[in-house]
Amino acid sequence: MIELDVRTREMLEEVRALGRTHIRPMGLEADRTAMPPPVDHEFYLLCTRQGGIVAKSIGADESPTALDWKPVRNFLLGEETAYWDRGVALSLPGPGLGGPALRNTGTPEQRQRFLEIFNDHSKARWGAMAMTEPSAGSDVARIQTRARKDGEGWVLTGQKMFCSNSARADWVVVWATVDPALGRNGHRAFVVERGTPGFEILKIEHKMGSRGYETASFVLDEVHLPAENLLGGESFYESRRGFKASMATFNMTRPLHTAHGVGMGRAAHDFALDFVRTDYPAQGRRRQRALERLARIRRGLHTARLMYLNAVWLAKNGESNVLEASFAKMYSPPVVLDAVATALDILGEAGVRNDKMLEKLYRDVKILDIGEGTQQVQRVVVARQLFGFPRDE
Amino acid sequence: MRAFALAPEVEELRSAAERLGRSELAPNVREAEAAGRWPDSVLAVLDGFPLGGLDLTDDLGGVGAGLMAKAVVLETVAAADAGGLPAADRPGIAAGAVLACPDRALAAAVAAGCLDGSGHCGFTVIDPEHGSAGLDWAPGWPALRWIWAMEGDTLRLHEVRGTPEPAVVLAFQTSGGVSVPFGATTVTGSWDLSPRAALAVRGRARLWAAAVAVGIAKAALDETISYTTERVVFGKPVAHHQGNAFDLAHAAARVHGARLVVRDAAAAFDADEDDAGFWATQAWLETMDAAYNATNLGIQLLGGHGFIVDHLAEKRFREARMLAMLAGARDAAELDVAAFVLDVDDLLAVPERS
Repeated sequence: MIELDVRTREMLEEVRALGRTHIRPMGLEADRTAMPPPVDHEFYLLCTRQGGIVAKSIGADESPTALDWKPVRNFLLGEETAYWDRGVALSLPGPGLGGPALRNTGTPEQRQRFLEIFNDHSKARWGAMAMTEPSAGSDVARIQTRARKDGEGWVLTGQKMFCSNSARADWVVVWATVDPALGRNGHRAFVVERGTPGFEILKIEHKMGSRGYETASFVLDEVHLPAENLLGGESFYESRRGFKASMATFNMTRPLHTAHGVGMGRAAHDFALDFVRTDYPAQGRRRQRALERLARIRRGLHTARLMYLNAVWLAKNGESNVLEASFAKMYSPPVVLDAVATALDILGEAGVRNDKMLEKLYRDVKILDIGEGTQQVQRVVVARQLFGFPRDE
Repeated sequence: MRAFALAPEVEELRSAAERLGRSELAPNVREAEAAGRWPDSVLAVLDGFPLGGLDLTDDLGGVGAGLMAKAVVLETVAAADAGGLPAADRPGIAAGAVLACPDRALAAAVAAGCLDGSGHCGFTVIDPEHGSAGLDWAPGWPALRWIWAMEGDTLRLHEVRGTPEPAVVLAFQTSGGVSVPFGATTVTGSWDLSPRAALAVRGRARLWAAAVAVGIAKAALDETISYTTERVVFGKPVAHHQGNAFDLAHAAARVHGARLVVRDAAAAFDADEDDAGFWATQAWLETMDAAYNATNLGIQLLGGHGFIVDHLAEKRFREARMLAMLAGARDAAELDVAAFVLDVDDLLAVPERS
């Protein structure tokens, strides 16, 4: 049993209220139109004005530029937001995946420069991070986007894809390589601001599900950047920390991914449970089967929740969570997909219909097993951690 | 022992279906999906097979080629594009109900309407303990005319009044789906069938879905292997990593097994075996799992590319799941096999029946 403090409970209730009034309706509308909510959507402005999805969720000690944030609470809120719609949750204003990269790697000046804008509550703003390329997904060491030194500054050339919110972001943390032959040691991260000449959005992807947030591809055509946009500064990479820095980002985003999955699995469970309560005969032969299936869903989701909380707890205490973050990311997507599939089985033929929401959830959840490192990558990470699985396998 | 080779006339049909799929369907999958139907030229070729009449008997205007021929054609067409199949095969999933309908004149009228293109059939399985307010999905908007409903062992025929509403559903957008409340229909017949005859009706419907699912799963597997043997990660093709190779091998074995059980059940129907409905239901359960596994792996090993519409992996994933939700979905199928499992002999114990 997880004990929650009073403030966390209050915040969860606030998310639930917003989930009913805004998040789920926005997600359903985005799914119907295959377009994420527009940048000037009133909900984004509401979130921005109060400094987060719930009022005062970011206190004085938790400004976006601070390193000391309260992760457990944020992850529970992430789970709850995804319960209502993960796509909309990912579309919420803020630094996004670029945030952890800046907090973990950025110099104090860079954190001030790029994160301070989120303290301006008059306008919704986004940040983003770009790693994946057309020919480099799971194997991020193969990225081909080139970073070339140009006097004091840098020139970036390449293409990125599957970048969440990058078409609406004020800046994007872009990972590039100074020399592909150097593999991971050649990696550098840059902050590319919107409007920089040569930075051009190619297209917004048309996805099977999770349509509440935009996923974009963009090109970098001779993008000139000042030296100050190299994340962490030159000295950071002299100590060969570039690739490890990018991976460190994922050690916190993988548990968040898991939290989102638990939220989505709960949504499927609750929808099916309501259906059983209202549509199944009280003594029917199918009712007991349905309840046993729901219990199995709960077991899986409970385990997944403990996994992500454990990974976050380790990180919060300054311990390595590489193994535990990958355990969570590896374990949860199949459990969540099974939860939604089982919920569909409980609805039977009615489940195929779009108005039952579960068919949308079925299309939404599959991305959980792909983003932030696929199931296959998690297995490799776990095997390396457990018994030194060789890197060429 | 059944022969595993296809009869020459079935092989001829398979070959023709494969040519049609390769030349007309596979190159235009997304265009047809956007249009909500296959082109008339494609439908005309399929009518010429005749797709809808392959497994209908002579007295219903069919050609009596049998369910094996039908299953093979469905699988082959589905491998190219399953999206328009439910609408192209107008008796389709309801063919077993048409065949079992005791009112032969009424059945012949429905079959004639399907074969001349003036109407489509829908089919649903209703749990008697649960009831149902209507049909959640059928293909053929706006031309759905008849709904066959099995409630327990009772078969009912509903005639649709007026034009039904289009339905937004998980997959098969190329078939133009509809939802129809039973209140918008008129019951034109109701018959109590024997338990085995009723199971045969449900089994035929499931076998239709299973044959389509085998084609979808095979196509998913082929595309996944093609992609993963070309794309390189961590120094070698995706498929050459042992973990992925094992998953692909496992998926291939399941698709192979699914095809075998589907064809075995089709042969059982063609031989008029008593337990054909049971074996068809078993085949459906096996095939739905195999198709889910293959299509899920298809997205998984394509990574982000599998989640966007630039590839067909996401479409096949949706279609496989939707097939698992027709004809009463998994609950009805599992309840059926549970009800009959003690009464059906193991195939190996009764070789003289093969």
